[in-house]
Amino acid sequence: MGSLSIGPLIQLGYSSCRLPSNRTRKPIAIRADGSPTSKDQQDQLNVSVLRFTFGIPGLDETYLPRWIGYGFGSLLLLNHFAGSDSSTTSAQLRTEGLGLSLAAFSVALPYFGRFLKGATRVDQVALPEGTQQIFVMSPTISDSEKEEFAWGSYVLLRNTNTVAVLISIQGELCVRGYWNVPYDNGTAKAPILDWFQRQIENIGLGDLKDVLYFPQVPGSELWEMLPNGTRSLLVVPVLQSRDGSGIEMIKNRGFVILASNMEYAYTEKDRAWIRAIANKFRVQLTVCPRLERFFGQFGPHLLMGGPARERQIYIIHSSRTSGRKLK
Amino acid sequence: MRGSMEAGTLLRGAIYWSFSSHSQRHLLQRARLRRDVLASSSNPQLQKSYQGPKPKRDLVPDWVSNNDSTARSLPIYVGGASLVAVLVNRAVSGIAPVADASSSQSRADLLALGLAVTSILTGLVWLTIKPKSISVVNPLGVECRMISSHLPDPLIAELLWAWESLSSVTCCRCLVVVYDGTCILQIGVAAESPDGEALAVDAARLTEGSVYQGVMKSGSQSYLANLSLYPGRSELPFLPSNTQAVILQPLGDKGIVIIGGDMIRGFTTADQAWITYLGEKLDTTIAKHTISGTPLKIQDRV
Repeated sequence: MGSLSIGPLIQLGYSSCRLPSNRTRKPIAIRADGSPTSKDQQDQLNVSVLRFTFGIPGLDETYLPRWIGYGFGSLLLLNHFAGSDSSTTSAQLRTEGLGLSLAAFSVALPYFGRFLKGATRVDQVALPEGTQQIFVMSPTISDSEKEEFAWGSYVLLRNTNTVAVLISIQGELCVRGYWNVPYDNGTAKAPILDWFQRQIENIGLGDLKDVLYFPQVPGSELWEMLPNGTRSLLVVPVLQSRDGSGIEMIKNRGFVILASNMEYAYTEKDRAWIRAIANKFRVQLTVCPRLERFFGQFGPHLLMGGPARERQIYIIHSSRTSGRKLK
Repeated sequence: MRGSMEAGTLLRGAIYWSFSSHSQRHLLQRARLRRDVLASSSNPQLQKSYQGPKPKRDLVPDWVSNNDSTARSLPIYVGGASLVAVLVNRAVSGIAPVADASSSQSRADLLALGLAVTSILTGLVWLTIKPKSISVVNPLGVECRMISSHLPDPLIAELLWAWESLSSVTCCRCLVVVYDGTCILQIGVAAESPDGEALAVDAARLTEGSVYQGVMKSGSQSYLANLSLYPGRSELPFLPSNTQAVILQPLGDKGIVIIGGDMIRGFTTADQAWITYLGEKLDTTIAKHTISGTPLKIQDRV
């Protein structure tokens, strides 16, 4: 269902001009996606941006301070050990100390620059080697739920820097992407699903209440099922607040696991959207086709409530939902 | 009485029970009882709680994200200070102020100067790509929640989910969905009509207007980053008068989603991509649940 891609790179459109040769500023309009009409292009605000580039394709100039830092730092050390004909004075030592700390600062600058707003991520990472791409779903879910899972996993893989997604809602699984499964390509789905179920139980994600975000995965392998080369991990629980005899209870309905092979792969905005998609699965739980028979008794008037409308739906359905056959 | 809601054996953390058809009142009672049992028995033995590594707080990324302007000008200050320090060091140490590359002191000074200049230039580059901070403009109008009541429940839930997501993640403040010549959803802040209520969407007039036609012809999303500069503004009178940005997303070839935001250029490229997928999903769901000929024209004002 759709091709698997690493995810679009979020890029802001800037034009660059070559600093060494020509210092003219070229006024450009910041591109927005979609198809702007000619009126839009005239009316967009013009912003001039000066950006240094050598113009060599494939060379990323954001890492230039790092290379300069390494180069000049090594030259300083060379100068210290091989360049002096007499003993080094204290003034030279001070200068060299200052120079080395500046070199270390320059080396660290691209790392800081990555977290600024408006930074472009141009590092393309290859897809994980040696792992296979799978797409399995629990067989016991209804067709509408299958569509929801398929769409949700597709959108998460396309729109974020994700290579693997696992959705588990009330025990029903949907696994898509590159996972480290110890089965061959042609195996049936049932053992794969059981294996994932066991892995999840061993990790113990059934009771999760908070979002877990590992922007740099600690150690070489956090969980066995993650593909090789996983650098970021995001686990979003799907929670549902239920009113049980006056006490507000937050129950874990499931979770969504996303793995990426880039560090710091999920920005704040990405995570907000992923939470919204996880909420979609929660909404899907309550509006299930089998419940329409029960709901029809009360009619659609209940939906035309105030802001507490959604909670009302959940309260009415919760008693029925708990009667579902759990697996 | 026929009791067939049995709690099976506690097998690997799952409770099995079967469900047979009783009267609905019995269903409710038993389900409530069952839910209480389930709640009380969800102790650590039932589901192993997560004991793996918790993500540690990253100080540097957090600090940089929170103190954006300070972080941007930091390299300039560091570079400038070290430039001054190198010159002062050279002056204080009594060396002749001549940039003479023959002595190792001068070579070390030159290298340090080169690094300081690199730092200053990086800081300047960071300053130039600083995104302009734009302020939020509160939309003027009245709160409105209008949903066509003859829609099936899954579709209503999906529309409400779309509204909740957009309003919490993006700068969206009003959402209008028009499908097949009728307005099926108008939520958020709407312009005020003369009698003090929210101004209803004239779907017929909208579908004949140039805005709608243009979006349908191109078939793709249209992002009006600064609505005040757009002459087609008059065709969207139901949006608050000071709406800053609008995204028009077509739903197939029969409908349109109009999303109004409260910030100029408030929707990022990521938001636009997500809204495109959202539009496709809504289109599929509406098409699935709408049988042609079913009247969607009756609306309930909430």
